[in-house]
Amino acid sequence: MATIREKGYAHWDGALAERRFPGWPITRTGIQLAFRRKMFRFFFAGAFLPAFVALGGLYVSERLEDFKALVQSNRDLIRIDPKYFAGFMTNTAVLFSLVFILVFAAAGLIADDLKHNSLQLYFSRPLRKKDYLLGKMSVVAFFVLVLTAVPWLLLVVFKLIFAGSFQFFLEYPWLPLSILGYSALLTVFFAFYVLLLSALSKSTRYVIILIWTTYLFSDALSGILFETFRQPAMILFSIRANLQQAGAFLFGQRLPHPVPAVWSFAVLAGICLLSVFVLNRKTRGVEVIK
Amino acid sequence: MSIDVKDLSFRYGRIVALDGVTVSLGEGAVGLLGPNGAGKSTLLRILLGFIVPERGGGKVLDFDIRRDQDMIRRSVGYMPESDCFVAGMDAVTFTSYFGELSGMPRQEAMKRAHEVLFYVGLGEARYRLLDTYSAGMKQRLKLAQALVHDPKVLFLDEPTSNLDPTGRNEVLELIRDVSRNKGIQVLLSSHILADIESICGSVVILNKGRVAAEGRMADLRAIAYSLYEVRVKGDGEAFRKDLESRGCKVDETEDRLIKVYMPEGADRMDIFRAAARTGVQLRYFVKSRTSLEDLFAGVVGVD
Repeated sequence: MATIREKGYAHWDGALAERRFPGWPITRTGIQLAFRRKMFRFFFAGAFLPAFVALGGLYVSERLEDFKALVQSNRDLIRIDPKYFAGFMTNTAVLFSLVFILVFAAAGLIADDLKHNSLQLYFSRPLRKKDYLLGKMSVVAFFVLVLTAVPWLLLVVFKLIFAGSFQFFLEYPWLPLSILGYSALLTVFFAFYVLLLSALSKSTRYVIILIWTTYLFSDALSGILFETFRQPAMILFSIRANLQQAGAFLFGQRLPHPVPAVWSFAVLAGICLLSVFVLNRKTRGVEVIK
Repeated sequence: MSIDVKDLSFRYGRIVALDGVTVSLGEGAVGLLGPNGAGKSTLLRILLGFIVPERGGGKVLDFDIRRDQDMIRRSVGYMPESDCFVAGMDAVTFTSYFGELSGMPRQEAMKRAHEVLFYVGLGEARYRLLDTYSAGMKQRLKLAQALVHDPKVLFLDEPTSNLDPTGRNEVLELIRDVSRNKGIQVLLSSHILADIESICGSVVILNKGRVAAEGRMADLRAIAYSLYEVRVKGDGEAFRKDLESRGCKVDETEDRLIKVYMPEGADRMDIFRAAARTGVQLRYFVKSRTSLEDLFAGVVGVD
């Protein structure tokens, strides 16, 4: 180890600034730390696969004459309308890949801080609880938005470019808003959901298991309950089904389950409220046991 | 006074952690001394705004501890007792990260992180992952993150815990340099008497959530009480009880040396009178120079 004071201590003559978003260093560092892992970069790139498939569909839809042989009986599949976008964005595999990326990037956001006692370091800075949590949530928001809003809005642009006219936009002017609305819903929900589970354990591994089990188990539970009681409302137990239900509503599509969409919104909001309660209790500079 | 608190009280459930603590701490290095559970860490946490006192209030550098927590945190560097770091980071990233969170611009924070890491002796290891750091290196790192934004006051909570003697001396040397040569006020919380004695000019002794003694080290040694070391032949137990009944605190070491802490204003002749009353023979009588350990034993007691 080097000797102490190889260089002397000098006072810093700058001024400490008050940031508009004090949690920004937390967000930036959280994103950087995720991308430092080679495996994550690989999976993150893979998560764009559905968007590329959709892009292929868009291209083919504008060049039907060139792809006659390929699309003979499947013209309905590549009819480009809001249903096409909703079909991709609410697809089970797309949601699964989103959870997969978040497990890699965000499971340890709070769990690691709890494990290494670093909350007291954060809160010994001019940082409030809400700044800390917003900083962490913004990490989740970044990944969800980059994987949803950004590619799907770009696809709308590509559709216009391939078509060479604004006809599609004039027919469905609200489609970009639907994409933004659904992306925002996914962002808010997953930010609360992942941080809720991340705050429940000091071990990132347990958090990963928790995220997977709650996501998949809720689906399995909903299936079991539906088979048992034959009540459509049982889909409300499934996180995936609620997200798909809300997505279909936001894209103006027929709901996949005969349950009012507002119930699904209420379930998702309930999970967010539970998260607020838990996060408020778990994120403290010091654990006070009374 | 840079830290001034009045009537601070806090409980963890039924356990009273602080009970009406009133202290005024001036410049230089101040020791916060007390046995485990005395309320030292609780006091630091209240000063930083981690917990809200049930009663009382105070100021750190003229900022109110209830209202101006952000301003206090900008001006204070905190080195917690427990190991703490952010997984997956190296020391430069970690230190500049907390500099930025204190409000430093990014580039300035990075530049400053290099400087303070060299200062605390981690210059060569600054690009190593923190997960691979030894206990001593983590202590230095905690000091570096506390210094990165050039605070006016440093709160150090047990800064030498988990360190070997060499590491302990090095960290103490750093703290001494910071407090004496760099104009940073240090509030050093510890239960290790020697650490406080070697660094601090004044001390606050907490016991069971109350202030047991407070003031400049030299004044406390001289004024609070007088310490005499005595050896007797005869019934030592009766001699001890006699002295205790007259307000003296008496401790006996393993080699039967009796330490008599006489309260302020007491007469040393009382020791001779007690010996006469209990029929013991005084074989050794010395007025001792009181160390912090004696002071601590005098106000808190010795196990």
